[in-house]
Amino acid sequence: MSGGLLLLATLCTSLFAAVMIFLLPERAFRARTGLNLGAALIKLSLVAWMVWGLSRGGEYSLEFPVLEGLAFALRADPLGIMFAGLSSLLWLFTTVYAIGYLEDSPNRKRFFGFFSLCVASTLGISLAGNLFTFLIFYELLTLSTYPLVVHRGTSQALAAGRVYLRFTLTAGLVLMIGMVALHALAGDIRFGEREILAGLSPDHRPLLVGLFWGLIAGFGVKAALVPLHGWLPRAMVAPAPVSALLHAVAVVKAGAFGIVRLVYDVYGIELSAELGLLTGLVVVAAVTILYGSLRALAQRELKPLLAYSTVSQVAYIVLGIGLGGPLGTIAAFSHLLHQGLMKATLFFCAGNYAEELGIHRIDGLDGAGRRMPLTSLAFTVGALGMIGLPPVVGFFSKWYLGTGAIQAGMPWVIAVLVASSLLSAVYFLPILGRLWFRPGPDHGVGEWPEERRLGRLETHPWLLVPVVATALFSLMAGMLAGVPFSPLEWATRVVNTEYLP
Amino acid sequence: MNAPLAPSLSFPAVVLWLALLVPLLLGLLAWRFPPRRMLPVLLAGTPLPLATFWLLHRVSAGGELVGVWSLGELQLHWRLNGLAGLLLLLTQLLLLASATYAVGYWRATVLPERAFAGFWPLLGGLAAALGVIWVAADLLTLYAALELMGLTAVGMMLLPGKGAALVAGMRYLIYALVGSLAWLLGVALLLGASGRLDLAGLAATTEPGPVTGIAMAMLAAGLLLKAAIFPLHGWLVPVHASAWTPVSALHGALVVKASFFILMQLWQRLVPEGVAAAWLLGLLGSLAVLWGGLQAWRANELKKVVAWSTVGQLGYLMLAFPLLAGTSAAVATLAWQATWLQLAGHALAKAAMFMAAGNLLLAAGESRITDLAGTSRRLPLPLMTFGLAAVTLMGLPPSAGFTAKWLLLQAAILAGQWLWVAVLVVGSLLTAAYVFRVFRCAFVEAAPRHEVRSLPAGMDLIALLLSLSALGLGLAAEWPLALLRGGGMP
Amino acid sequence: MALSGELFPAGLLVFLATACLLDRHLLRACLAFIAFALLMALAWWRLDSPWLALVEATLGALLTGITLLHGLGRLGSRSSLPLRDRERRPRQQATARWLAALVWLTLAGAAVWGVSGNSELAASVEVTRWVLLATGLTIMALGLWAFAHHLHLLRRLLAFNVLGSGIFLLLAGLAGPAVEVQGLILVGLVVSLIGSVLGVALLRRLHAQDGRVVLGDGGREEAG
Repeated sequence: MSGGLLLLATLCTSLFAAVMIFLLPERAFRARTGLNLGAALIKLSLVAWMVWGLSRGGEYSLEFPVLEGLAFALRADPLGIMFAGLSSLLWLFTTVYAIGYLEDSPNRKRFFGFFSLCVASTLGISLAGNLFTFLIFYELLTLSTYPLVVHRGTSQALAAGRVYLRFTLTAGLVLMIGMVALHALAGDIRFGEREILAGLSPDHRPLLVGLFWGLIAGFGVKAALVPLHGWLPRAMVAPAPVSALLHAVAVVKAGAFGIVRLVYDVYGIELSAELGLLTGLVVVAAVTILYGSLRALAQRELKPLLAYSTVSQVAYIVLGIGLGGPLGTIAAFSHLLHQGLMKATLFFCAGNYAEELGIHRIDGLDGAGRRMPLTSLAFTVGALGMIGLPPVVGFFSKWYLGTGAIQAGMPWVIAVLVASSLLSAVYFLPILGRLWFRPGPDHGVGEWPEERRLGRLETHPWLLVPVVATALFSLMAGMLAGVPFSPLEWATRVVNTEYLP
Repeated sequence: MNAPLAPSLSFPAVVLWLALLVPLLLGLLAWRFPPRRMLPVLLAGTPLPLATFWLLHRVSAGGELVGVWSLGELQLHWRLNGLAGLLLLLTQLLLLASATYAVGYWRATVLPERAFAGFWPLLGGLAAALGVIWVAADLLTLYAALELMGLTAVGMMLLPGKGAALVAGMRYLIYALVGSLAWLLGVALLLGASGRLDLAGLAATTEPGPVTGIAMAMLAAGLLLKAAIFPLHGWLVPVHASAWTPVSALHGALVVKASFFILMQLWQRLVPEGVAAAWLLGLLGSLAVLWGGLQAWRANELKKVVAWSTVGQLGYLMLAFPLLAGTSAAVATLAWQATWLQLAGHALAKAAMFMAAGNLLLAAGESRITDLAGTSRRLPLPLMTFGLAAVTLMGLPPSAGFTAKWLLLQAAILAGQWLWVAVLVVGSLLTAAYVFRVFRCAFVEAAPRHEVRSLPAGMDLIALLLSLSALGLGLAAEWPLALLRGGGMP
Repeated sequence: MALSGELFPAGLLVFLATACLLDRHLLRACLAFIAFALLMALAWWRLDSPWLALVEATLGALLTGITLLHGLGRLGSRSSLPLRDRERRPRQQATARWLAALVWLTLAGAAVWGVSGNSELAASVEVTRWVLLATGLTIMALGLWAFAHHLHLLRRLLAFNVLGSGIFLLLAGLAGPAVEVQGLILVGLVVSLIGSVLGVALLRRLHAQDGRVVLGDGGREEAG
C-alpha cells in the first residue's frame, strides 16, 4: 500500500465508523460494539504498521491544494505518529470502557458516533502536515466533543457545554487569525520547514513574537494553561469515558501537541530561543503547575481533583518544551504519552468507583481497596506515577525535566518540580491511605452510597479490563523504558533524528 | 427569444440558452400535471446542471462565451464567464433540490392542490430569471430579469394564502416595487449620461463624476433593498418566516444573492475606485452582521433564527467592497474569491438549514425553539443536518464558510483593514451563539414526549446532501476558485 | 414646437396626477389615474413612439384601470372596499419618510441637471426635452410624496404607478426616443401592471380575511 493511501485509510477508519454508527439504529447494540472495536483495532494496527515503516525510513504523505498556495497536507512524521499511536491505543481502551459504562443508557448512538468523530479528529491533528490542516481537525475536535460534554442533557451539563464552547470557539478564532497572519507573512509553512520563519528579515521579529503569543493563547485554552483553564474542571460533569478522552487522549493533548508543533516545527527551537519565547513558556508552565496542584489540594470530590491534576500535569509538557535542550524535549515528548496513560487509568478508576459503589467524594473512598482491589491497585499505580515515583513512567518524565532544567541553566525549575511533586503527594497519598488502610463498609463500617454489583468480578468486566490494561501499560512503559518502541525510547529517537543538528 | 439568430450562433450558445429557458417549459408542464413523486422531478431537472457543467468545461478551456441578441435595433448582450457559469450551476442544483423537496413537502403537509400547482410555473420563472441575471450583460436584460425574479418571488410568497404570509408578501411587493423604480431611475441617468446600456460599453465610457455617483447610488439603493442589506432588511424576516419551506430556502439562498451579484457587477465597472462609498457599504455590512446575529440570538422561533441569520450572513458579502476598492491586486484577488465562495457556501448551507428547520418543525409540530427539547433523540437526522449547515455559517472547518473566512481574513490582514477582522470574529461568535442556543434546547433530556410525524425520507436526504456539499466545497474549493481566477474579475 | 403647445398637456398631466393622488375618494382617484394613463399614451404618440402609446393605453390605462377598479370591488366581485380612505399616518413615522423622499428627489434633480447641463444639446433649446424633464420631475415628486405618505394600500399602488410614469418621462427626456428607452419603458409598464395585479390581489385577500386595507406598521422605504 502506498504511503498516502495508508494515511487516508487510518484517518477514514474512524470517520467511516462514525458514519456507520450514525446510520445504525439505536438498538443495534451488537453491531455498534463490533464496529467500534473493529475500527479501533484496525486503526491501531495501521498506526503500528506506520510506526514500523517509519522506523525503517518509510515516508507517508498526502496532499492536495485547497486554495492557491495552500494545501491540505497529511504527513506521518515520528512526532506525529507518536501522538497517533497514543490516541489509537487509548481509544481502544476508552471504547471498551465506554461500552461498559454506558450500558442501558439512552442516546448511545449519538455518543459513539461523536466519540468516533472525536478520535478521527485527534488522529487528523496528529497527522496534519501544516497549520491549515491542523486547524481543520482542531476545530473539528471542538465540534465533536460538544455533544459528548452535554451528553447527559442536564442543566449542569448544558452549562458546562456553554462554557466549553465559549472558551474553545474564541480560542479557535484567535488561532485562525494567527495562522492566517502567519500565512500572509510567510506562505504555507509545512511542519518541519523551520527555515522559512528563521529566514525572515529582522524587521518582522516583533510581529513574530506577537503572533507566537497569540497562537499560544489559542492553543493554551485546550491545553488548559492558567488562566485559560476555566472550562476543564467544569467539563467534569460529562460521563467518565468522556473525561478520560478530554484529559488524557484528545482535547488537552491536542492543545499541548499544537504548542509542540508550533515551537519545534514552525518557529524552530533556535528561533524561539533567540526571540526569548522559551523563557516565557517556562514561566507560564511553572505558574500553571503550581496553581493546578494547589487547587487540586482544595478539592473534596475525586473528579475535580483529577481535573486540576491534569492542569498541572499537562503544563509539564509545556515546561519541557520551554526548557528547550534535548533532555527537556525528551521529557516533553515522552510526558505527552506518559500523562495520557496515567490519567486515563485514574479517570477509569474514578468512573468505576462511581458506577459500582456510587462514590464521588474523596472521603467516601474509605476501605474501597478491599471491595475493589484491582481498580484500587490501578489507581495506586496511576497516583504514584503522578507523584513521580519509580518505576511508574511519571518518574522518567520528572527525571528528564530536572536534568533538562540544569542543562538549560534554569535550576529554579527544579524547585517547582519538587514543590509540585510534594503537592501531588499531599493530595494523592491520603486517597491511597483511605483506599487501603481505613476501614470501610466491607470491614463493617458504614455502607456504600449506591452499590450496584455489576458483575461477578469486582465490577463489570468491560469496566475492569481497560483499567487494568492502562495501569499495566503505565507500569511497563516505566520498567521497560529502554526497550525499542517504548514511549521514552521513541521520544529519544524523535529528538535525535529530527530535532538535533 | 424569437430573435433573428446571429450567424455566429454557436452550439454552446444554444446549449446555454436552452439550459436557461427550459425551466420555464418544465414549470408550465408541471403546472398542468403536478408531479406527485420526487423521482420524475429529479430526472427532469438533472440534464440542466449537466449541460452547465459541460459549458463550464468549455469556458475553462476556451475562455468566456460572448454574444448579442438583436431585437430589431435593440441589442441585448450576454456573456458566460467562469463566475456566471458557476453561479448558474449552483442555481440549477439548488432549484433542483428545492423542487424535489417541494414534492415531499406537499405530501407531508396538507397543501391546497391549486396552490401547489401554482408553485411550478413560478419556480420555472424564477429559474429562468436567475439564469438570465447571471449571464446578462446589459442593463435592459438585467432589469427585465430582476423584475421577473422579484415578481415570481412575490407570487411564491402568496402561495400559503394565510394571514402572516399575505402581509409579508404585500410588504415584500412594496419593497420590490420601490427598489425597481430606484433601479430604473439609475438606469435612466446612466443612459442619459452615456447613451448606452451594455456593461462593457458603460465601463469604457463612463467617467467618474457626480452624475455617475448619483446613478450608482440609485442603482445601489434599489439593489440593496432587494438584497435585504442592513438597514433595508425589514422585509426579509417576516417573508422568510411565513413562506413555504422550499420557497424560503430558495429565497434565502439565491434571490437575495442575485441582487448582490448585480450590484457587484455594476460597482466593478462604474465606480471601481469609490473607496469612501465602498467603505460605507462595508460598514453597512458590518452592522448587518452584528444586528442580524443579535436578532437571531434573540429570536424565539426556529425559522426566524434562520431568517435573521441570512441578514447577518449577507453582511459578510458586503465586506468585499472595501477590500476590492483601491487595494493591491493580491488583496483584490483574495477578496474576490472569498466573496463568491462565501456566497456559494452560504447558499448551499442556508437552503439546507431552512429545509432541516422545516423538517424539524413539520415532524415535531412545534415552531418555538424551547419546544424542540429532546429532538436530539427523536429527530437526530434533521438536527444533524441543521448542525452541518451551521458549521458552514459559523465558518468552522471543514466547510466553504471556513475557507471563505480564511481568504477574507487573509485579504483583510494583507490590506491592513483590521476592522473587518474584528467584524468577522464577532460575527462568527454571534453565529455560534445562536446556533448552539438551538442545540442547547435540542439536547435537553427532561422533555415531555411529543408525537413525531414521519416525513418522506427524501426530504431529510436532500437537506443532508446540501449541507454536506457545503462542507465538501470547503475542501474542494480549488476547481471553482481556479475558474474564478481565470475569468469573471473585471 | 411652441412652448405653449407643450405646456398645456404637461400641465394637464400634473393636474391629473395631483387629482389622482390627493383624492380620498378612491373611485374618483382611480378614474383620474385612467385619464392620466390615457394622457401619457397621447404623450408617447406625440413623441413618435406609437407602439409605446399603444402599450401604455392597453396596459397602463385599460388593464391597470380594470385591476384597480376590481380591487375596489366595482368590477366583477362581490365584496367591495370602503370608498373613502380614512387612514392617517402617525406623525413620528412621517419624518423619516419625508427625509428619504427628499433625498431621492434632490439627488435625482441634481443628476438630471448634471446630465442635461453637460450635454451639447443644452445650447440649442429643446423645448420638448425641458418640458419632459420638468414634468417628469414634478410627477415623480408627487408620486414619491404620495408613496411615502399614504397608508391605504390602493393609494400606495396608485402612487407607485404615478411615480413610475414620472420616471418614464424623465427617461424619455434624458435619453431621447432611442430604442433602448422604449425597451426599458416597455418592461417598466409590464412590471407596473403585474405589480398592480399582485398588489390588488393581495389587498383583496387581506381585506377579505380581516378587513384591513393597510399594512401593520407600514413598510420602510428609502433611497439615496
